[in-house]
Amino acid sequence: MHLDAFAVIALAGAVASALILIWYLVARPQLTRVTKLALLLGIGVFPLTTAGSGNYAGFEATKHREFCGSCHVMTPYLDDATDPKSTGLAAIHTRNAQFGEESCYTCHADYGMFGTIVTKMGGMRHVYLYLTEFRNKTLAEAKAEIHILRPFPSSTCRRCHTTSAPKWSEVGDHAALLKELRAGEVGCVGEGCHGPAHPWSKQP
Amino acid sequence: MNKWLRASAVLTLVALAMMVWSVLRPTPLPVMLAMSLGQAVGTAAFAIYGYIVLVDLRRIRRDARRARELDAQDRVVDVPTAEPAAAKPPEPES
Repeated sequence: MHLDAFAVIALAGAVASALILIWYLVARPQLTRVTKLALLLGIGVFPLTTAGSGNYAGFEATKHREFCGSCHVMTPYLDDATDPKSTGLAAIHTRNAQFGEESCYTCHADYGMFGTIVTKMGGMRHVYLYLTEFRNKTLAEAKAEIHILRPFPSSTCRRCHTTSAPKWSEVGDHAALLKELRAGEVGCVGEGCHGPAHPWSKQP
Repeated sequence: MNKWLRASAVLTLVALAMMVWSVLRPTPLPVMLAMSLGQAVGTAAFAIYGYIVLVDLRRIRRDARRARELDAQDRVVDVPTAEPAAAKPPEPES
């Protein structure tokens, strides 16, 4: 459970609203101006506060690794990412403090102006697939079928690995494929240079 | 009217319960429920409240207008009853 400031605001709004509404339902007061104003707070203002901050807290929660791993078919991915002995790309990046608790989201999110929306829509597709196909499958069955939808874009890696650091350029393959990498024609993970990201990753 | 407001209050409590659940237990089902069904139920509850308040305000305004009209009618009725007595011509002496 991640109780940040927005979650606390959401809970406070919900409690305030619930108190007013329970008072209204129990006491059954006349519909005077005071009652209307109290109900405006209880049905309008406080619930809107709860919805706004609760939605934000919810969006933030969806970025957490535990959220991604809460569907049982993702358990092996979560276990590998958090395994201190794993040498997989996901585990190496998860151990990086810059990724924090959001290593799944950091690597799998789309970027750009509508990146968050596109990522959330992709997440809804995952939920749909989970409910319709993977919910009743065993881990072994799911592990054999789950694959990335499209090749992992090198632009995601290049957010941190900018391809301009001298040490990076010293690697022969990097220098040789610089143009293709920057154009997105060659992937860091997809081409097998640094992959697979997870020990059992499969290409689309 | 009060029945609808009570329904609105109950719907708001249901929506709040979903939102609180998603905050306390942020897993896919509660978060999705809060962001879809919770929002819809909460919005419906607020719409009911808004409609009831609007209807009540219109009733208050209508009652006030009717009271003004009745008041004005009373004044109109009062005037003719007072005037004939004042304007009554003296009876001719025989």
